[in-house]
Amino acid sequence: MKAVFDKNANSLTVSVEGSIDTVTAPELDSQLQANWEGITELIMDLAAVDYISSAGLRVILMANQQMEDCDGSMTVRNVNDDIKEIFEMTGFDSLLNLE
Amino acid sequence: MIEVKNLKKIYNGNAVLKDVNAVIRKGEVISIIGPSGTGKSTFLRCLNLLEQPDGGEIWIDGKNILDGKTDIAAIRRKMGMVFQSFNLFGHLTVLENITLAPVSLLNKSREEAEAEAMKLLKLVGLANKAHALPGELSGGQQQRIAIARALAMEPEIILFDEPTSALDPTMVNEVLSVMRSLAKTGITMLIVTHEMRFARDVSSRIFYMDEGIVYEEGPAKELFENPSKTKTRAFLRRIGMFNSTLNKADFDLYHFMGLFTEFAEKQMLDAKQIKTLHLVLEELLVNIIFPEIELAELEIGISEETKQSELRITWHGSAGNPLESASEAGELARMIVKKRTSSSEYSVLENGVNQLFIKF
Repeated sequence: MKAVFDKNANSLTVSVEGSIDTVTAPELDSQLQANWEGITELIMDLAAVDYISSAGLRVILMANQQMEDCDGSMTVRNVNDDIKEIFEMTGFDSLLNLE
Repeated sequence: MIEVKNLKKIYNGNAVLKDVNAVIRKGEVISIIGPSGTGKSTFLRCLNLLEQPDGGEIWIDGKNILDGKTDIAAIRRKMGMVFQSFNLFGHLTVLENITLAPVSLLNKSREEAEAEAMKLLKLVGLANKAHALPGELSGGQQQRIAIARALAMEPEIILFDEPTSALDPTMVNEVLSVMRSLAKTGITMLIVTHEMRFARDVSSRIFYMDEGIVYEEGPAKELFENPSKTKTRAFLRRIGMFNSTLNKADFDLYHFMGLFTEFAEKQMLDAKQIKTLHLVLEELLVNIIFPEIELAELEIGISEETKQSELRITWHGSAGNPLESASEAGELARMIVKKRTSSSEYSVLENGVNQLFIKF
């Protein structure tokens, strides 16, 4: 898993690549936390994510919650069919702002 | 091109090859499958006389190479061989390994041999490793070099003796991918392999060896989908089983998935099916089983015909269906597993062992 962070004023775009699984999800979480300060808009670009398990879903859910807690917004972008299927299966498609 | 009649090979009174009969035509890609110890590698080694047969005939281009008059070196030049253990010269560079035989046996000039070697290195995707020593390369890369070396002798046929068996599971695909490309070039290939999906995909015919003979042979699709003999069917069914002891204390998810992927590919599952099984296994093991159970046995069977999977986990100790646990932490995982499986059943066997049986 690789995550590229692009911070622009209060907006943070995270482009994730590879698998977000039990092993890599904590890594993504800690990288997110390290870039969190001052953010009111979070964009997660999942175009290059080919696999996600519940560990990855939890990181996304927590990030979404964290943004809501600070009156910010989170958008999940470029969700491919495989990942969309998991989002629909778990109800994440209705919890998240998908674009 | 090659006709084998009544071939016999005896080791210490044990007839490994009892009566092998086969015809290999120019341009065919033939995979030899079968249980261990049934003479698959011995058959291959007899063809280029690395093993001296104890009886029978091997006709190559109209000559019986067992008649005692054959120029063995000339026969071997027609047949390249790729071994399980690479057999590269460790003190020579990749380029030197590939050019050694063409220069000394085919009397090619060094320049010509090197130019040809570079083309072959490009073919196997390792042109940038020409000046490396074999010890600096991974197992998969070394085997790709061994294939390039075999091709450098411009053979009419290449014999592959379990070319991926000695490799780490993560390196198997790179070698198979080179072999897939090679199979499309029209060169005759005879491959001893345990990679069933590969065998089915690339082979024009399959030899199933058992009891010291070519027990059943036929087009790949026909033999895999509709084997006519009981032993062939039993073999194909048996290889469809994956077993693993799950120990929470030293469980390595990626190592486990590597082994499972290797198995699933052999069972000819497609990438999407494998990804789905990865997801179910990750959720099941990491988030449902391990929070409650320290040690368990896992068995996964995949039907050759329908490609449906059955998973069985057994364990001693804490009773109860982990899929019905009330733990909040595993809720998402349980949801994914349930949505991805067609049925599940928990039971306690007579010996007190817990069993979770899941069908996909």
